[in-house]
Amino acid sequence: MAQTSHGIGGLSYDPAKNSRPPELNVLLALVLITTAFELIGRLFMGDSFLFNTRENVDALFNWQRLNIIILQVSIVGIIALGVTQVIISGGIDLSSGSIVGATAMITMSFAQTAIVNGNPNPKAIFGDWAMDLPVLVPVAVGLCCGLIAGLVNGALIAYTRIPPFIATLGMMVFARGLSRWWSNGNPVSFPTEGYAVIGQGMMPVVIFVSLAVLFHLVLNHTKYGKHCYAIGSNEQASRMSGIKVNNHKVLVYTIAGILAALAAVVVSSKNLTAQSGMGMMYELDAIAMAVIGGVSLQGGRGSILGTVLGALIFGVIISGFTFLKLDAYYQEMVKGVIIVGAVVLDQWRQKNRGRG
Amino acid sequence: MKKCLFAAGFAALMSTTAMAEGIGVTMAAFDDNFLTVLRNGIQSQADAAGLSVQIEDAQNDVAKQLDQINNFIASGVDAIIVNPVDTSATQAMSDAAAAAGVPLVYVNRQPINVDTLPDGQAFVASNEVDSSSQGFIEQCNQWAAAGKTEVSVYVMQGELSNQAAVQRTQNYYDVMDAGKCAVKVNIIDQQTANWSRDQATSLMTNWLSTGAPFDGVLANNDEMALGAIQAIKAAGIGMDAVIVSGVDATQDALASMQAGELDITVFQNAAAQGGGALDAAVKLAAGEAVEKKVYIPFELVTPANIDGYLAKN
Repeated sequence: MAQTSHGIGGLSYDPAKNSRPPELNVLLALVLITTAFELIGRLFMGDSFLFNTRENVDALFNWQRLNIIILQVSIVGIIALGVTQVIISGGIDLSSGSIVGATAMITMSFAQTAIVNGNPNPKAIFGDWAMDLPVLVPVAVGLCCGLIAGLVNGALIAYTRIPPFIATLGMMVFARGLSRWWSNGNPVSFPTEGYAVIGQGMMPVVIFVSLAVLFHLVLNHTKYGKHCYAIGSNEQASRMSGIKVNNHKVLVYTIAGILAALAAVVVSSKNLTAQSGMGMMYELDAIAMAVIGGVSLQGGRGSILGTVLGALIFGVIISGFTFLKLDAYYQEMVKGVIIVGAVVLDQWRQKNRGRG
Repeated sequence: MKKCLFAAGFAALMSTTAMAEGIGVTMAAFDDNFLTVLRNGIQSQADAAGLSVQIEDAQNDVAKQLDQINNFIASGVDAIIVNPVDTSATQAMSDAAAAAGVPLVYVNRQPINVDTLPDGQAFVASNEVDSSSQGFIEQCNQWAAAGKTEVSVYVMQGELSNQAAVQRTQNYYDVMDAGKCAVKVNIIDQQTANWSRDQATSLMTNWLSTGAPFDGVLANNDEMALGAIQAIKAAGIGMDAVIVSGVDATQDALASMQAGELDITVFQNAAAQGGGALDAAVKLAAGEAVEKKVYIPFELVTPANIDGYLAKN
């Protein structure tokens, strides 16, 4: 609320904002949580969380753990990049998880291999014509699915003026239904070797990080980026100052849809299978990552960097829990507390700064 | 004219009620591989017998499932087949069906009130006590054959609210306590991966990052076993060095077994369970007696007998 008093659309220079970037707080939280796991590990488990304690391995850090921390969040992270832009522009996207499910099913149907261990593919969806296609075909089909879903979301929100919550809720339910209908709930499996490469090893991380860098630059150095912040801060003012708000909204949701579809391609390639339940709750995890990273649900505030740090906090928590052999029942509860705690802290910090 | 249409409509309505002969089915979820095979088993058996079935998706929602059962009762079905979302929430379902006098058959997941089912109700499934224990005993024998006397393992559990996950994990301990395992087994850690391949891959990689040596993985289902295998392969550990077991014998699991990765799985005959449930429902609807518990046996699958199962699931 404080920012509306600082000029139109939050575009004006606000010294309070620049004194300490909000990302620094998120980074601090990340360091604190990591240190906590390290200390608890050393005190109670007699093992280190981050550092290598194995005699047969010559390395300072436990690289395997560092890798999985980021690998296990990079697929939802790809979605979170799109969700961040949507939320900064003052919207919300609940459909991304279901878009992952539907896109994975459709994409995998064009990525199948004809022969599995000398037998015909037992999960074949189409006939021979759709077997062993070049890897570009399924990827293009997948991204088109996301593009269409995003276009529909954006157009509904921009032109019918229904709230983003409702429009994307509709898409969420529709796309989940589509993913179940596609093969009557059966999984689609056995992709070609070419398709399997996309999600192999650390590829999801490479894709996530490259896209994060790209969209960091886009949000900070292009007209598109400035418009995101402007519309999220004050939609009326943006419209008055000549920004094509409707076109921008369609574009933002389309980008979010394509990113969700890309996540679907990566997750189905990584797991070598597509299942209609895939991506369940991804939308909420993605929103949580953004929010923990300091993206405001009121719009107009946040950054890609913050979201990436939010994703890392998620990753550290998941790995930390397994490291401490914490019972699964407690894991969810603690995760919930951390999500709410992060936002409460952030709000409190905002309020204090407003007074100062 | 109007009257004529009205009469025609009424006649149509009457005829549908007269030839209802319907059986209502509510499945816990449509997007589960195994339950889909089971659902298709019900459907194909019904098609063969010329019965009409209406199958609903409870989408893992207990409340929705009870609503569906009440809707079935209200629309006057001859019998109901329930694949419970939550096995501890079945009392209300049994009560509702018993009060309306509609026969009810639970399939695949054992209801909490299985020992106190009212008349006209039955339970068709495979006996979970035989599931993972068959696979585990085979796993123990394979370790013993490899010359090991003591092994370290990881245990991957399914969703913790699910009775099968709890039972399949308990089976490991029961086999050990009963001395049926040929080697001494140390469980390094036991966690849930919620039946999911993706979560299992992450969990296994997290475990591998501790560097503790291990001899095998006991997974409550095949999807998690496959996730574990992906992580183990990615870490550069040879699949000959570890023995991984799952449950279900899905197509993906069998392909992995053919590729020399998955060592052991247990086949649960989903289609036979679906068919068995339909049989029981039809008999109950006709007023015939049916055993309270109908068990379809589990079958052990290893590379030695895999050929017999390739076309089954």
